[in-house]
Amino acid sequence: MKNTLLVLLLAILSVSFVFGAGTKEDAAASGTTTIRWAYWGSGQRVEISQKAIDLYQSRHPNIKVNPEVSGGAGDHFVKVDTQLAGGDGPDIIQVGGNIPDYADVLLDIFPFDGKAINLSVIDPSAIDSGTIAGRLVGISTGVNMPALVYNKSMVERIGAPLPKITMNYDEFKDYLRVLKSKLPAGVYPMQDIGVLSSNSTPFGYWTRYNGTPLYDASDKSTAVRPQDAQRYLELFDGYRKEGLIPPADIAAGYAENNADTSMVIAGKAVIGFIWTNQLSGYQAATTDELDFIEMPGAAETNALWQPPSQFYAVNKDSKNIEETVKFIDFLVNDPEAAFILGSDRGTPASSTARSAGSAFAADQKVINYMNVAGPHSSAETDHVPNDTEFNSTLYLIYQRVAFGQITPAQGGQQIYELLLRLIGK
Amino acid sequence: MSKRKTTQRINSLILNLFIIALGVGMLYPILWLIGASFKPSNQIFTQASIFPKTFTLDNYVAGWKGIGIVGFGTFFKNSFVICIISAFANAIFCSITAYAFARLQFKGKNIWFAIMMLTLMLPSHVTTIPRYIMFRRVGWINTFLPIVVPKFFATDAFFIFLLVQFIRGLPKDIDESAIIDGCSKFGVYSRILMPLTVPALITTLLFSFLWTWDDFFNQLLYLTSPHKYTVPMGLRLFLDSSGISFWGPMFAMSVLSLIPAFILFFSLQKYFVRGIATTGIKG
Amino acid sequence: MKNLRRKRVLLDNLSSYAFLAPWLIGFFLLTLYPMFYSLYLSFTKFNIRTPPQWIGWSNYLVMFKGTETLPRDDRFVNSMMVTFKYVFTSVPLKLVFALIVAMLMNKKLKLIPLYRALYYIPTLLGGSVAIAVLWRRLFAADGLLNMILNSVFGLENLPAWISNPQYALSTLVVLGVWQFGSPMIIFLAGLQQIPREYYEASSVDGAGPIRQFFAITLPSLSPIIFFNFVMQMISAFQSFTQAFIVSGGSGGPLDSTMFYSLYLYIKGFGFSEMGYAAAMAWILLIIIASLTAISFRASGTLVSYGSGE
Repeated sequence: MKNTLLVLLLAILSVSFVFGAGTKEDAAASGTTTIRWAYWGSGQRVEISQKAIDLYQSRHPNIKVNPEVSGGAGDHFVKVDTQLAGGDGPDIIQVGGNIPDYADVLLDIFPFDGKAINLSVIDPSAIDSGTIAGRLVGISTGVNMPALVYNKSMVERIGAPLPKITMNYDEFKDYLRVLKSKLPAGVYPMQDIGVLSSNSTPFGYWTRYNGTPLYDASDKSTAVRPQDAQRYLELFDGYRKEGLIPPADIAAGYAENNADTSMVIAGKAVIGFIWTNQLSGYQAATTDELDFIEMPGAAETNALWQPPSQFYAVNKDSKNIEETVKFIDFLVNDPEAAFILGSDRGTPASSTARSAGSAFAADQKVINYMNVAGPHSSAETDHVPNDTEFNSTLYLIYQRVAFGQITPAQGGQQIYELLLRLIGK
Repeated sequence: MSKRKTTQRINSLILNLFIIALGVGMLYPILWLIGASFKPSNQIFTQASIFPKTFTLDNYVAGWKGIGIVGFGTFFKNSFVICIISAFANAIFCSITAYAFARLQFKGKNIWFAIMMLTLMLPSHVTTIPRYIMFRRVGWINTFLPIVVPKFFATDAFFIFLLVQFIRGLPKDIDESAIIDGCSKFGVYSRILMPLTVPALITTLLFSFLWTWDDFFNQLLYLTSPHKYTVPMGLRLFLDSSGISFWGPMFAMSVLSLIPAFILFFSLQKYFVRGIATTGIKG
Repeated sequence: MKNLRRKRVLLDNLSSYAFLAPWLIGFFLLTLYPMFYSLYLSFTKFNIRTPPQWIGWSNYLVMFKGTETLPRDDRFVNSMMVTFKYVFTSVPLKLVFALIVAMLMNKKLKLIPLYRALYYIPTLLGGSVAIAVLWRRLFAADGLLNMILNSVFGLENLPAWISNPQYALSTLVVLGVWQFGSPMIIFLAGLQQIPREYYEASSVDGAGPIRQFFAITLPSLSPIIFFNFVMQMISAFQSFTQAFIVSGGSGGPLDSTMFYSLYLYIKGFGFSEMGYAAAMAWILLIIIASLTAISFRASGTLVSYGSGE
């Protein structure tokens, strides 16, 4: 009997020791309010975010901001989802185009206008983009635009003419052919955009150009038909056959759209696809000079758009709602913060932030691009529900065509069925 | 006489060379990793050879700082805390359980043993989500508890099995003579059997440590604030899907993270080879 | 008299159970209860943000046949095939390598402890993210392997191993085999238990090393080979991290590296279909249990496991 007790005692002691070790660190100092800010990014973004945090903390000694950083958006949402399910969500949740999926767990910020946050200096279109069913559930971190990036230094090196910033599809194809004639073997005029992990965006652009937008939330329908998707696949199939984009297996090796596994940075392609806010990151990864051109056909159809890059959203169940909203006001509107943050999360949508300028030189190119591409834009198409699955499955279908497993006609049919299924889910 | 010795010497030499050659071939990726950790970031992918043209320690300095707010000092500390506690908890509680199965008599023993063996086959996925929901209900998210506490309940059947087999190899009369001398059950366990089980215990300690260190999925799920991150999670922070990744520092820290494990393995070898050997797995 | 004895037996049982208590509690709380809960979840539609919704056999039907509203999940079937291919190529190869290296590591050389540690290093690297980069360096279109094949053997038009759907899985098999440390150690322990006299006696009888291997080493090791086989098989079926980092979480190209666990993770945490993921977990359990049972049956006479004394 004594031994039994001893064993149990040992067990209890060890458990309580570990228990203590675990929870001791969470005893927050009383008097300070702690705000948890969950976002994704690394390297440069983390550094500048921390600088902004330090600035805020120096002005408000009783506030502590704890960043919770995930390497990529994928990990970030997995973590946030599980935290929310556990009732343990962060105060500020960074969200992207998938904000509709989170609308019911986010706070309506409208009531705080004029008190904790100043909405009047923010562009109305940015406010609109964060409003769902009359509630302002996310403040835009800045505006972004899809763009084609090209390696200016490489073009100059091979003696090819620089591309015009605005072209239609025929001019674009001709330009690719010019590049191909001057490029050495193993280097391609353009990256195979369809195999990027974020491939639904170029596809989205093309459907807008084609006059058949992907999704209309008001009647839960898609304007895309199998023949439309088929034409998209055939377009790229054509490029592939002419050697204007790499063959499928080489392209598949550069599928993650980040500066290191980018074909453009690796010097294996001249033109690639990025979002404008990625320019400073990409530019820092290479000594060649990069610049932007528009997606072809934007001028005729105004098919480009200016979505908010990301949103700062507040967890409805946050314990420090007022302080959290105030901190967001700082991030979005404060000139010093804006200078530090630059356009890493998008070109600011707040006029006070824009007037402060940016610490990054590459941001000037972004502004130049937006000046041309802005007028070639129209209202953003609604996002297809179940974004993640759309990206992942579209990618798979595109690859099947690229590897010759199915024809563009079959691919078109599969994409159509995918859209219907996701809308109905 | 000396002719045989020379032949032996030559054979030895050839064997050594063969092992080294095979080893280099196998370790090439690791050697490349180590070399890359000493190269400046912009030369890592452009320079093919293992040996850095420009040797630099920058990656180690930058890598140690982590992602600015939290450095690798913290990540290593967290990993060590989790792994050491898990290792010892496993050693204690798996051996207690093994003692019960190997030496004690009680009703239903065979059924429980069969069930314990069956849990070896259980894919972890079947219990992941429910365990997560349970742990958040008691407020243990963002602590080390969900990772460490299961070890206090001997959930690693592999080590129980190992220890059972080892204890079975120890003669029963030492138990019996101790009991005759008035030793309690716990006394037999702690004073008689455990000292003899040291090789198997060290095996348990070492492999618990290594496997916990590598258990990325559970760390990802339960540790949400960077201050609690472990080394594998810290390494992942260096990768980003929308900007630059810090390859140089990432490699440097990967190399560092190999060192504790390597040292442990190297120094404890003779124990655990013996530890597994005498489990009589062969029956 | 009898009552006293019965009482003593009862007390005896109780105190024995005290030693079993930690494991018992753990089993009920952390294993059995979660198992039943996930079984329940497998019959629901659950996106973790809202409560589970009962949908009956739907998840299971979608996996194998499709329902009136949903087509069959071809990616599920594909992930099973990929995993089976992986398990039944990597596990045998891994064991063969592990055995060969273990025999080498059993020699009496001065530097053997160092050699053993060195050969174990790949396993220490585990699921480190550095592996993704290393593997790309080796197997990309312009990677090291192709450079060697081209310059040394003069081969041309080499495939991009790691991004070609036909070969991508093989690069993961190579990775699995490369990390043979654990079975190697177990084999080594087993080899050290074989009495030297067997070998000495047989060489006196004129047996060469090959004959010795087949007549002495293999039979003595057979229970260990079996043990390693079963354990490696179980672990290979659950393989996740390596596929996750090498394919960048996509299971590509063309789902050729979409391991079962990876697809489970994507379905559960990527597409928020936790009910489906739970169903997948249960199917995996059934598969592993069946294969293990078959293995035991097939090994019949070789192995003498048992819980009884």
